Amino acid sequence: MKGRSLWMTAVALAAGIGLWPLGLRAEGPGCGAPAEYLVSGPLPGTSAALARGNLRVMVVGSASTQAGGTSSPSATWPQRFVRILSARTPGLNVEVQIFGGRGTTAADHSRLMAEHGPGLRPHLVIWQLGTVEAARGLSADDMADMVQETTSRVRAARGERTDMVLMDPQFSRFLRANADVESYRDKLRLAAAASGAQFFSRWSIMKFWAENERLDLERAPRSLRVTIADELHDCLARALVEFILDGARPAPR
Amino acid sequence: MAISLIPLVRPGRDLRVDFLRGLALWFIFIDHTPGNLLGLATLRNVAFCDATEAFVLLAGFAAGIAYGRIMEREGWLQAAGRVMGRVGTLYVAHIFLFVVFTAQVGFSAAALDQAAYLDELALDPFTQEPYRALLEALLLRYQPAFLDILPLYIVVLALFAVTLPMIRRPIWMLAGASVLYVVTRSFELEPPAWNGQSWSFNPFAWQLLFVIGIWLGRADPVKLSQHFPWNRWIALLLVVLLIVAAALLNFFWHGATSGIEMPERLSGWMASIDKTSLHPARLASVLIMCWLISHLLPPGAAFLFGRTAGSFILMGQHSLPVFCAGIFLSFLGRVAIEMSDSLLMQVLVNVAGLAAMLGVGAVSAWYDDGGRRKAQALPTAGQKPKVDA
Repeated sequence: MKGRSLWMTAVALAAGIGLWPLGLRAEGPGCGAPAEYLVSGPLPGTSAALARGNLRVMVVGSASTQAGGTSSPSATWPQRFVRILSARTPGLNVEVQIFGGRGTTAADHSRLMAEHGPGLRPHLVIWQLGTVEAARGLSADDMADMVQETTSRVRAARGERTDMVLMDPQFSRFLRANADVESYRDKLRLAAAASGAQFFSRWSIMKFWAENERLDLERAPRSLRVTIADELHDCLARALVEFILDGARPAPR
Repeated sequence: MAISLIPLVRPGRDLRVDFLRGLALWFIFIDHTPGNLLGLATLRNVAFCDATEAFVLLAGFAAGIAYGRIMEREGWLQAAGRVMGRVGTLYVAHIFLFVVFTAQVGFSAAALDQAAYLDELALDPFTQEPYRALLEALLLRYQPAFLDILPLYIVVLALFAVTLPMIRRPIWMLAGASVLYVVTRSFELEPPAWNGQSWSFNPFAWQLLFVIGIWLGRADPVKLSQHFPWNRWIALLLVVLLIVAAALLNFFWHGATSGIEMPERLSGWMASIDKTSLHPARLASVLIMCWLISHLLPPGAAFLFGRTAGSFILMGQHSLPVFCAGIFLSFLGRVAIEMSDSLLMQVLVNVAGLAAMLGVGAVSAWYDDGGRRKAQALPTAGQKPKVDA
């Protein structure tokens, strides 16, 4: 009897030691994205919509909102965001509409929001931009003006009950080397702060994943690229859900 | 190595100007190598302005001295001819760098095999319309990222050739430049650009900084320090202002958004600080630093005759070849940093980059020195003043 319990203890200890590194390796929320990038300012419109159980989301952006190298449109971050958010908040009905496409600029996005926003009356607008401006060398100042103007308009439309979240470009060493990305990101961050929008730094999060060998699409072999793109979009959606839920936490914050 | 470089330094000029110019050239190399960790320590991280402002101001300073002298001795036509010769050199240098840049982008696109990664990257004008882009680049209407300083310099210097006689009336020259600056900013004047782009640096606005440089270069230093005397309290106030600006930049502009929330009005103001048309905050920032440095670093400071300063002075005295070498090296540095994220690569890029820039400075100095000695040996050859503006 005694021998058996000793045996059991040994097995349990061994299992414990074996599991120890696994426990250490367990990722934080949002695929281990640094916590500082998952903190949002208050999102009152989203918070109220979550309480009512019905959230309308408008996603506007360039290529990554449509396919972005994933296996199918349903594998992109906007679609995954809806699925993950629904799973995280039982009983919530999320409607999402996606606008934009490859090569669209802030000015195009602004027009799309003016055109479709009033009919959609979204609680949350996720606006992904900056890559096209940077790649084509368009004016960062014009982009910042456009963001401030559009954000004020969108937020005012429903009496400050529409939240705006800006999302910056995807991290890419190639883009970093051949376009002045930092200037565009700086301007986006300031324009967000100036107009009451929140800023989700996809660039910083993806840079962290790339540098820590968690997810590095740019260095992935060609044969694995679609698989890794799918995983990347999944992780981005998870990080975004953390960000949005942080901003939508009920007051007092 | 540095010891043997000191004799190559040309004496008899304000070494502070050459030193700061050399430093600006080094910063430009660093800032043109995205991903370079030293980029976190350059001027743009602590001030509204960056090395570009310093470079343009000091280029004006050198041009005012060099071409002003030719203007006085030989007249407008001669001086303007020399300025336009310089413009031609700058233009050729720019086109050369454009070709190198295009080749580098092509190379790294192939090396990283990135075609399927970011869809938007294939949208750059050169990929879409290469022949048209080439033509537009020749017309300076297309300026790829990081190839925007020379076009500015070309236009500003060409404007200088036309307005050279005005250097005899510096106040008028300054007034004219200020009016053009204000008009440019109020009416959003800008030179034509292609494909919805805009000039990164609007020369009609930036010329003001160049003209201020000319004026400072031509002014009598004694009178200048009488006009702008040292005042401890003003200096202290300005230093505090610079520190506040540095804090604002690091907490809000470049930094994380979370944690501290900045008032919307302040962010709005900061978002409006444009580099394209030289926002007054950027102009003020560089001029404040210029005043502080001119008083805090006397022309005879022992530091300027040391090895470290000597290296930068040497680079500053041969700004065009060193600038071009810096831009060229930054292309190589970019490819290297793209390929490897390691710290070793960072060290390698920065050490090799600085050493190569210094080497180019030393070779230019040695070459010029040989030319001068030859000219002195031939009594019939008219000795032309050395121009490096």
